[in-house]
Order: sequence, then structure tokens, then C-alpha cells
Amino acid sequence: MQSQNSIIDWEAMSLRFVFTALTAIAVVFLIGPSLIVILTSLTASQSLKFPPDGLSLRWYVALLNADQMQQAAWTSLVVAFWAAVLSAVLGTAAALAISRSNSTAGRAFDMLFMSPLLLPALAFGFAALVFIYQLGLRPSIPFLVLGHVVVCVPFVLRTTLAALTQLDPALLDASASLGASRWMTFRRVILPLIGRGVGAGSFLAFMASFDNVPVSLFLADERTEVLPIHLWQQIETNLDVRTAAASGLIVILTLLLMLLAERFAGLTRQMR
Amino acid sequence: MQSGDLKLVLPLAALFAVFFIAPLCVLVVMSLSTDAEMHRLTVAHYVKFFTDAFNYSILWNTIVLGVKATLLCLLFGYPIAWVCSRAKSRWQAVLLFLVILPIMTSVVVRTFSWIVILGRQGVLNQIAMGLGLTSEPLRLLFTEFGVVIVLAQVQMPLMVLPILTVMSKTDPNLADASRALGAGEWRTLWKVTLPLSLPGVIAGCILTYSASVTAFVTQTLIGGARLVYMPLHIYQQAIGANNWPFAAAISIIFMFAVLIVVYLLNLLTQVTPAAAKS
Amino acid sequence: MTNRISRRHLLGAGAALGAASFLPVSGFAQGKHLVAATFPGTWNEAHRQYLAPAFTKRTGASVTQSILLGNDQLSRLIAAKGGKPPFDVALFDRPQVLDAAKQGLIAEYPVAKSANYKDLLPEFQDKWGPCISMQIIGIGYNPKKIKTPPKSWDALWDPQYKGRVGLTALNSQLGIAFLAEINRLRGGNEGNFEPAFKALRELLPNVGAIGANLGAYATLWQQEQVDIAPYNFNFVQTLKGKDVPVELSIPTTGPVGWTTSMHVVVNAAEPDLAVQYIDTHLDPVVQSAMLKPPYDVIPTNSKVKLEGAITNSIAKSHADLAKIRSFEWEKLNPQRGALIERFNREIKL
Repeated sequence: MQSQNSIIDWEAMSLRFVFTALTAIAVVFLIGPSLIVILTSLTASQSLKFPPDGLSLRWYVALLNADQMQQAAWTSLVVAFWAAVLSAVLGTAAALAISRSNSTAGRAFDMLFMSPLLLPALAFGFAALVFIYQLGLRPSIPFLVLGHVVVCVPFVLRTTLAALTQLDPALLDASASLGASRWMTFRRVILPLIGRGVGAGSFLAFMASFDNVPVSLFLADERTEVLPIHLWQQIETNLDVRTAAASGLIVILTLLLMLLAERFAGLTRQMR
Repeated sequence: MQSGDLKLVLPLAALFAVFFIAPLCVLVVMSLSTDAEMHRLTVAHYVKFFTDAFNYSILWNTIVLGVKATLLCLLFGYPIAWVCSRAKSRWQAVLLFLVILPIMTSVVVRTFSWIVILGRQGVLNQIAMGLGLTSEPLRLLFTEFGVVIVLAQVQMPLMVLPILTVMSKTDPNLADASRALGAGEWRTLWKVTLPLSLPGVIAGCILTYSASVTAFVTQTLIGGARLVYMPLHIYQQAIGANNWPFAAAISIIFMFAVLIVVYLLNLLTQVTPAAAKS
Repeated sequence: MTNRISRRHLLGAGAALGAASFLPVSGFAQGKHLVAATFPGTWNEAHRQYLAPAFTKRTGASVTQSILLGNDQLSRLIAAKGGKPPFDVALFDRPQVLDAAKQGLIAEYPVAKSANYKDLLPEFQDKWGPCISMQIIGIGYNPKKIKTPPKSWDALWDPQYKGRVGLTALNSQLGIAFLAEINRLRGGNEGNFEPAFKALRELLPNVGAIGANLGAYATLWQQEQVDIAPYNFNFVQTLKGKDVPVELSIPTTGPVGWTTSMHVVVNAAEPDLAVQYIDTHLDPVVQSAMLKPPYDVIPTNSKVKLEGAITNSIAKSHADLAKIRSFEWEKLNPQRGALIERFNREIKL
């Protein structure tokens, strides 16, 4: 694999150097902001400066009194939970159907279900709002959940389909020939094997819903405040360090959740 | 057996029919209506959009923004994918984790960090002035350049992952063969690696472009909403001005703008496999 | 095996969360719940710090305070007309009150249910809803860069401030009031805004940044991206409290302002709680607390003595408050949309 001569291969090294340098910069670029926001939130003063004036946990303590922020966080959690569950159930069923079908119908459905990732979610959010009003109804939590399911189910579909393609059809044949019903085969053979794929997809769907802004902008209103929009409002209108503390908390929690997902569902392997 | 299996797709298909396709259809009708009650039809909103410089300049700026952010993403994302695909398994997992982590973190949080970094006395200016690169603090916040930088960082994982997927499926023997035949590293990159990874690059560009043009939070927090792009325009017309028909027209135009670019990028995938094989 | 146990734990946790979410989403806060609108900046901070706790102590109910500019509140209420409104208490500047009343969006204020109403100064009482404060605009400046306080609006046009002047978009009351005042000083009136736009075009070379909203405006000050700009008295005080170098100077032409009031929205989900919320804001205890730095909210209750930064430049007594100049909003209102659009087109950096 090395070049033919044993003297230093400047050319190879130059490429490797340039690319590694770019990668290093990019990694700093990717991770730096999150680190900076955590450090900024540990400031003892009232201003958002980096490096911070003194270190203190006072803003994290202040979060304990942030009733409205906690309420928004809770709403987001509940909505994300139901969006993930519905995405997992509906998405897995659809993935099973699509993976087994060889017809154009199957491919058409695949494209349809993936399209929310390409179409601007903002346009969809607004369309959903208009639709709800035309039905004579008003936005509410159930509609918000359904809206999130539409934009989150593609994640479940992708990872589950990927897991299903690695499933050996011989296993299914064996199970059927041993007399197991379709449901039994699903529960005992298929599900354990694609479990990690479904798990990874559901995790992605959960995070996507928790973080969703474009759909929530239209389907969540003042009575059903969700966390990202609450934070966005705060940032747009205030210079509040509590927002930095909330951000720091979210970064840390995300990191923990991702470590868990990596440990139990092999997240990075599912996305390779 | 096929038709029985396809039955499982029905629940999700039903949801999409009712809550995705139907709303989009209603949106189209709304965009062609004179008022929110949809009494009469008209193309006035589309005409207004395309004849008014203020409006179509917003569309143009949004597309340009997406292109710039995508190119910047590509510049840094390709090397990451390249390094990652050649790294040992343990490093690969770590690098991948670091790439995925930002996209899991709330977009509001990540954009907020940039406000701290890009400000007049923010980190970037502190470094630049400290290094003597500039005597006056750079104006980065509330500029298009600032938005491009932040978008590139926020969407980078979307560029890296598809390229990485394609690269890890590519036969490493091909690159080895190229080198064994005497081509240097750069030439190998240009003639072998790049064409083979092009489907991943295009997929990454499609995802990054789509995400960048619809990035409402980043555009408004960093651009400062004096820089009005399509997402904010839609929001302002829909919620601020209550002008639903016009907002609907803008939304439809926006969707087409995204789809057309995606379609064009997709065409490139049709062209490249032939080139790669030659 | 470890995999199965851990999966079971996860499922268990998931089930618990699912069961918990069958509780009503707003059951996180016990008891009744009110949704009230508030303005960005000083307002939502003062409301969160003083008004919400006082309200909860008085009624036992919790409150969500949504940050919405007056215009946006109007839009939301118009969109939701006929059904339940997205919030129960509206916070409006004088111009929006007229619009909202005309469109049947707010209810007449039930004076009988509001104990503190009778103590308000007469100019702050109104059948549609009591005024909870006044807002004054002046020239905000960075005292570190500008040593002598500017005494006239014309200072903004001074070439020495090239690229250092800030402006705010017209969707906020601050922007409209500034436009109207410049218009008046340059010879225009509520029917003719040409002088104002001419003046703004002349100002453009000096303008360093245009804040799209009041929060972005605050960022401009904090980042020291502007040195001089029209600004709101209360917001300046709040920023000073956050160690941002900014001061307010009232020009010799006198303080200009408008009243800000709270209203019960028609079809509110909790109309009685709404009245109690507004009445809490009229309470002398609450108004005295908000009068203190860093909020310096101008009180409207006659039982509250004026003190602090207000007495320095704005008003020394209640009689002075009544004399602060305002505009003819009835004439200005209908042009608002057109003015905003014209501003967005012509005044661009």
C-alpha cells in the first residue's frame, strides 16, 4: 500500500497533512461551540461573555425557578415520546412491507415516506395549520404529535430498512417451515434482529421531535409551548444567561443520551 | 404474498394521506385563493411574488445562501469523511460520534453558542485581534457571511455521513491499484476516490442544501431578521401579517425551489457512474 | 444476559414516561393556568420576576408569559377569532388598543372586579383596560464613547457617528414612535410621512446596524456595535443593570411616549384569572417593586411615589406624567402596514 520508494513520500504526506488539518479544524468547528456555551453558562456575572467573568453555578440553580422553561421542556418531552413511539410502530410496519415488496408500489411508498426530509418542513408545518383550520379545528397537542411523526418517521424507516436488508431470508423460511405464525416469526426472529435498528431510529426520531422547530412554529401555540421555541424567543428578546445554562444542560443531556444509545443500540454502527 | 405484506404499509400511508398529502393540497388551493376563506381563485399571489424585486430577491438570496453553505460544508466535510473512512475502528467510532453529536444537540443551542462566538467581543474577534489579523473587530453577527459559517457547522454532519457511507462501501483495492500503477496520492484522489465517492457527495449536498435553506432558527438568530430569507418571509406573512394566501404561495414557490435544485443535483448521479467506470 | 436486562430497563423507563404523559400536559403545574402576553426586553423580565410570583401568591394559579410584540398579538388574536384565543391577557401599546377594540378582540374591563383600578391616575383609566405603565423614548448612547449626552435628535445625523448609529425595525413601537417624532420635528404630520423617510435616507450613511427586534437591538448594545440610537427608557435601565454601557438622554424637545395597557381577551379561557392578573399589575406593591432599578417601570397607581431615574429626566411628579407628549394614533394606525413595508424597502443597509 505504500508507494514504491522507501524515502519520504512527500506527496502522500501532503495529502494526508492537508486532509488531517482540515479534519482537525472541522472537529474543533463542530465541537467548539458546544463547549463554549457550557463555559459561558458558568459565569458568575450577568453578561454573556467568553471567557466568563468568574465561575459559578448560579445560573443552573436559577433554572430550578424557571417554571415556564420547565413547563416547555416537559411538553417537548411528552410530545417527543409519543412522536417516537408512533414513528417506531408505524415506521417499522411500513419498513417490513417495503422491504418485502419488489414492486414499484413499494418504492413509491419509500419515496413518499422519505419526502418530508427533502421538502421544507416549514412549508409542511404551515400547510398542516391551514388544514387544521379548514377542518374547523385548532392546533393542539395531538396534532403537534402527528405533525412531528410525519417529519420524524423517515429516520425510523431508514435505519429499520437498513437492518432488514441485512436479515437473512433463510431465517424467515426456517421459521415458517417450523410452523411459526407470521406474528410469532416477527416477535421471535425478526424483531430481536432488527431491534437495534429500530432502537437507533426511534432515538433519532425522539431527538428530532424534541429539537423540532419548523413544525412546532405553526402547530404549537402559546398554550402548548415547546422548549426549542421558548429558547428561541428568549434568545431573540433577551440577553439572559439562563438560556446559556439551559443550553449547557441540553448539551450535557444529549451527550449522555447519545452515549447510552451508542452503548445499547450501537448508534454509530447504524449510521455507517 | 407481496400484496399481503404491503398491507402493513397502510397505517403509515393513511397518516401521510391525511396529514401530509391533504395539507399540501390545501396549501396549493390556498395559494391560489383570494382570501383565507378560499372563496375565489387567482394567480395574483404568484404574480406579485415574481414581479416584486423585494420578494424574488429573498428567494434568490436564500438559494445563494444554501449554495454557499453547502460548498463550505463540502470543503470541510469531505476531509472528515476521508480521514474517518481510513481510520482504525476505534478512532472511527470516536470521530463518528463527534460528527453526530452536534446534529443531536438542539439547533437553537448550537446557534446560540455562535452568537457568543461571533459577537464584536466574541471569541473569534478576540482571537483575530489577538493574532493581529485585524485592528477593528470584524462584523460577523447579522451578516450573510456569519450565517453561512454557522449553517456550515450546524449542517456538517449531514454532509459527512452520506460521503462516509459510500466511502466505506468502496473497494479499497481500487485506490491501492491506482497507487500501485504509479499515480500519486493527489492524483488518486482526483481520478479514483473522488469519482467513486461522488454519489455520497451528491447525497450530502442534497441534504445539506435542503437543510440550509430551511434553517429558520439559524437564519433568524444569526442573520438578525434584517436578512430576510424564505423561511422568515413565510412565517412573517403567515403569522405576522395573517396573509395566508400569499404565505401559501411563497411556501409552494419555496418547495419548488428546493425540489428543483435537488432534482438537478440528482441528475449528476445519473451522469457520474458512467464517468467513474471509465 | 446484559442486553435483555438493559432493554427491559429501558422499556420500563419508557413505559413510566408514557404513563406519566397520560397526565394532562399542563398538569405539571398544579391547579389553574393562565396564559398572558408580555413584551420582550424589560417587560418580560419584570413580569417574570415580580408579576408572576405576586399573581401566583394571590390566586394559587400558574401563568405562562408569552413574549409577543403588540402587533403580533393582534395578528394572533385576529387569526384565532371565533374560537379560543391563544392567550387570555393581552398587553398593548395605545395604538393597538384602538385596533383591538374595533375588531372586537378585547372585552370591556370589569372595573367592579378590580380593586386597584380606582387608585389609578385618571389619565390611565380606560374602559377597555387600565394602563399599567408609560413608555418613553429618548436617545440612547454609550457613555464610554460619547462623553456629553446628546441633547437633540439631530445628533444622530452628526457625521462623527458614521457607521455607529443604530435603528430598530418598524414592527416595534419604538421604531414607529421614533419615525413619528422625526416626522413631526421635520415638519410632517400624521398624514404625511415624507419628511421622516427623507430624514431616514439621509441618516443611512450613519447607520451601523438595524435591529430587527428589541432583543437583537440589545445585542447590538452589548456587543458595542452601535454607540447612539433611539431607545426606550426602560430597556436602557435594564441593560445598565446587566453592566452594558448605555445611558438615555431626553432631547430638549421633550420626552415622547405612549401608554401601555393590559386587556382581557374575548373568549378567554380564564377570564376571572385574567382580571386578577391585571389587577395584580395595578397593585402599588407590585408597581413600587417594578419602579426600582433595573426595570424603572413608570407607575400608574397614584399611591406609588415617583423616585429614581425617572425623576432625573422624565417626570418629577404625577402631574408631569400627564403632560408627556404622544401622537394621534387614530390617524397613524391605518398606515402602519404601509409604513412598515416602505421602511423595509427603502431603509436597507
